[in-house]
Amino acid sequence: MADTAADIDRNEAPVLDIDPYDIEVLRSPYEFQEKLREAGPIALIPKYNVYAVGRHHECETVLKEFDKFTAKGGIGIQDIRKPGDFRVPNRMLENDPPDHTSIRNVVMKYLSPIAIRKMKQKFDERAATLADELMERGEIDGVEDIAETYILDVFPEAVGIDLPRPNILAIGEMRFNQSGPQNALYHAAMEKAQPYLGWFESSCQREGVRPGSIADDLFAAEDRGEFPEPGLASNMTRSLVGGGADSTMAGIGHSLCKLAENPDQYDLIHADPKKAGLAFEEALRLEPSFHVSYRTTSGEMELSGVRLRPDTKVGVFFGAANRDPRKFEDPDAFRIERRSAGTHLGFGVGAHICIGQMIARAEAASILSALAERVKRIELAGPPVYKPINQMRMLEKLPLRLIAA
Amino acid sequence: MPKVTLINPDDTRTELEVAVGDSVMRAATAAGLDGIVGDCGGGLSCSTCHVVIVDDAYFAKAPEISPTEDQMLDFTAMDREPNSRLSCQLVMTDEMDGLVVRVADPQL
Repeated sequence: MADTAADIDRNEAPVLDIDPYDIEVLRSPYEFQEKLREAGPIALIPKYNVYAVGRHHECETVLKEFDKFTAKGGIGIQDIRKPGDFRVPNRMLENDPPDHTSIRNVVMKYLSPIAIRKMKQKFDERAATLADELMERGEIDGVEDIAETYILDVFPEAVGIDLPRPNILAIGEMRFNQSGPQNALYHAAMEKAQPYLGWFESSCQREGVRPGSIADDLFAAEDRGEFPEPGLASNMTRSLVGGGADSTMAGIGHSLCKLAENPDQYDLIHADPKKAGLAFEEALRLEPSFHVSYRTTSGEMELSGVRLRPDTKVGVFFGAANRDPRKFEDPDAFRIERRSAGTHLGFGVGAHICIGQMIARAEAASILSALAERVKRIELAGPPVYKPINQMRMLEKLPLRLIAA
Repeated sequence: MPKVTLINPDDTRTELEVAVGDSVMRAATAAGLDGIVGDCGGGLSCSTCHVVIVDDAYFAKAPEISPTEDQMLDFTAMDREPNSRLSCQLVMTDEMDGLVVRVADPQL
């Protein structure tokens, strides 16, 4: 490893010789996150020749200053503008203002708080039904029986696309490994998803869409000429399916895990189920669903006194930023009254801040409050197991015991 | 410290001291005011911190409305009024001392 202090003197980024995609780092990223924050305001990861930021301030800066840190190179570690592994770019996310904004404004209309308020009653009803069923069982798996079952019950109907469980799980695993380096996880996920690729391609087309859904609204908007260019309704539907299922399931899993590990915090939402949303928010601070997202330097520049090379990827490590002691007091503690919404980076920040965040919040609040009303205590019935995915932070197993109130 | 008065949906008034650079939404949620929800924490994504500025002179003194806020003001639960603002965007200045806003109802 290079001499960190000397490198800073020369204004070069200090070198951090750790692989952020090492399977052990993905299983437990905290040590990597701390080393990244303490290496300097920005570090160079030699294995991939990319920069990485982990302090809250620099993460926020990279995400907000789109003229310096472009999203056009894609949000994964590979530059999608360069030859190599092909994947369909997300035309809103992997783009910068003003082009991005003219698309986002249209999508926002159909994901607006008004649209979400209409869905809320259904989210609550389905949550109540599932919670009643869960109470009749002894031990359950918080990932499969709560997070996946609930999201795969309400989300497909809201978006308007059928999402059979094996299909969407395999596609999610593919997409969020594909945005990382071509390691063993990448190859395994690509292979596992092969049988579902045809399904995924056709499901995001107009023909498969349910009437009265968000995707239906997007295709209707396309017919009215609201989008600046053709083909966007399908592209946006594709990104809703990919972006909206896995990340929300991950967030609900993390919430349940933290609530089981912190019974004093669970007591707060059991006493006042309206606070369930705060638990989701605080869980997303501690365990954001996304491990990393990239931007690309648009030229030679400086960030916090460090000279940066042009045309180089910069990884923004959300979990590191969300536990930065420079920003959060006692950062590793799960405290739902922190009210860090809008400060933590679990939904990102800047032009590309999560467009589905209000659906995610509504879904999470519905299921967590339905449980809070019925369950006196959530206990871990075994150790939580994390699922290594290049771009994500997600649980694979969460054995829970729900103790009825 | 500059002061802001919020007229709550039940017509009671709450006076808050808001530090320069802090938003009215942050101050109101920190004070536990139920009328301001602020789900997204100022990310211009939820439209649940809607207020109406009572005095036109203060509306003119407030920070300019960004295109995103303008769009989100069309999605509020209570219909938008000419002096509507999202209070997460009302970042305090000394000039805004004495601001009076009516809290929109409902927010959700």
